[in-house]
Amino acid sequence: MEYVSPFDERRRAIQPLAPRGVALDGATVVLLDITKRRGDEFLDRIEARLRGRGARTLREAKEIFSKPAEPELIRRIANRGDLTVEGLAD
Amino acid sequence: MRAAPGFALPAVRGGPVALDDLRAAGPVVLVFVAEECPTCTLALRRLAPLVAPVRAAGVTLVAVFEDPPEVAARVARTTGFAATALAEPAPYDVSRAYELHALPTTVLVDRDGVELDRRVGWDAAGLEELLARACGSAVEVTREPPAVKPGCAAKSMYDAATLALLDGGDDEHEVMFARGWSDGLPVVPPTPERVAAMLGGRDPTFVLGEVPPALGEATLERVGACAVLAGCRPSYFPVVEAAVRAALDPAFNLNGQAVTTQPSGQLVVVNGPIRHALGLNTGMGALGPGARANLTIGRALRLVVTLTGGALPGRLDRATLGQPGKLGFCVAEDEEGSPWEPLHVERGFAAERSVVTLIASDAPQSISDHRSTDPEELASILGWAAAATWSPNWWPLGATSLYVICPEHRALFAAAGWSKQQVREAMFAAVAKPARLLRRGETTPFVLAADPDALINKWTNADEIVLLAAGGEAGRYSALLGPCLGMDAAIVSREVVESA
Repeated sequence: MEYVSPFDERRRAIQPLAPRGVALDGATVVLLDITKRRGDEFLDRIEARLRGRGARTLREAKEIFSKPAEPELIRRIANRGDLTVEGLAD
Repeated sequence: MRAAPGFALPAVRGGPVALDDLRAAGPVVLVFVAEECPTCTLALRRLAPLVAPVRAAGVTLVAVFEDPPEVAARVARTTGFAATALAEPAPYDVSRAYELHALPTTVLVDRDGVELDRRVGWDAAGLEELLARACGSAVEVTREPPAVKPGCAAKSMYDAATLALLDGGDDEHEVMFARGWSDGLPVVPPTPERVAAMLGGRDPTFVLGEVPPALGEATLERVGACAVLAGCRPSYFPVVEAAVRAALDPAFNLNGQAVTTQPSGQLVVVNGPIRHALGLNTGMGALGPGARANLTIGRALRLVVTLTGGALPGRLDRATLGQPGKLGFCVAEDEEGSPWEPLHVERGFAAERSVVTLIASDAPQSISDHRSTDPEELASILGWAAAATWSPNWWPLGATSLYVICPEHRALFAAAGWSKQQVREAMFAAVAKPARLLRRGETTPFVLAADPDALINKWTNADEIVLLAAGGEAGRYSALLGPCLGMDAAIVSREVVESA
């Protein structure tokens, strides 16, 4: 029996991962706060440890955790940082 | 050595995944498994700790289940196998192409698409060799007994009659479950004829948008398939289409609602003449069972989110508990029995238009009040029912509370000549507490910053209260649907377009 699928079965290309293994010393690390509660506390601790290992840090935040990041924010992070750390949940 | 057959199979996390794309990133290790095979469970559990080191070596480990997606997801979760999991539907053409005889079978494919190695069953030493070859470095596979264990016959090996039995036999309703085309309840199989009838001449390829979270493309054909699955009559389709259009408005933030741990449902409110044309129940039991139109329209939207959008419970839908309204929830307003302007008129539509309004909401809570005799008293009782919504000390809510007001409660307000706005303002004003009583557990920054004796309201303003008329003439029970917080989910309306 033939049926009409409710699923989108289009094939999607897998996005390759960015190269790994960037050295922290001298790298610029963007710390992205998605604005979930206490995410800033988590990122404060990560920031201190990254700086202790010679990284330069920048802080960014999403406007609201439940919506995708604005393209401009993604562009800014991609242009300014070598690595990104995102605090995901509360 | 031979060429590994290409394939594209649905991933447990949504969307098809093709071998060509996998191997573009490096060598691929395919582990063919099935739920009912104990050796497969053992293999997945023992390979689970190797997922990260193998990935770090640039190798993609993939489980290919001869099972429906929801089964594959459950097994992957319970075994802790955190790599890509694909679900192969019957009659298991990919397994046949790989000439599998038994499960588990582990196959190493290099980036040029050549099969370099394969191991059958659980074979710790053999798998260690295969993985080391894939990774170009030593990989340690546990030698915990049993180090060798044969598996089970691959489903693709079964004869057609046995396979048909395993996949539901001749019962097409069981076939729907086996394919995962369900919300857990039986569905109407979406044959091409039924879907064509549902679309009523509309262009099946027309795209309404991409449905979060997996961004499945909502063609009218797929929406029609969901409407058939849900049990809709073709006459309901214009309402379903309007509901999907509303849900896809970015202001509704369906993406956030679909994946949240909250019990977030998408309530469909229908106003206008189409309520009567379709037999939508606005009266007795308006929020309950009994009316096909109410139950199937709400369900069709949820199936679009769940199947086309990929928000499968336990996978991309991460709801901690969920709620029955996530099966589908559609309410039609009792405009004729209401002293107030209906919701769609409040929202700027002409009364004679048929309109669908979507509201992100929690499950309904009943409010009994058979004693209040004046409107202030009743407004206070209705308002205080919201005190504990979201969390008892989370004041103000900063999001929509939807009240469904029953006829007897409406009559009391109508007798006093109160407008909707007066009711809202009285409810808003009635529900306030000193900040000091709200400083326990989950509370708002607003409460923490306030003077301890400052009165805090449950809502930011009276406009966060939405009133809707529905329900049977006897019984003083109204209902409250709490909000979904953190979603910034606007209420969104779309006019119903009835012509094809």
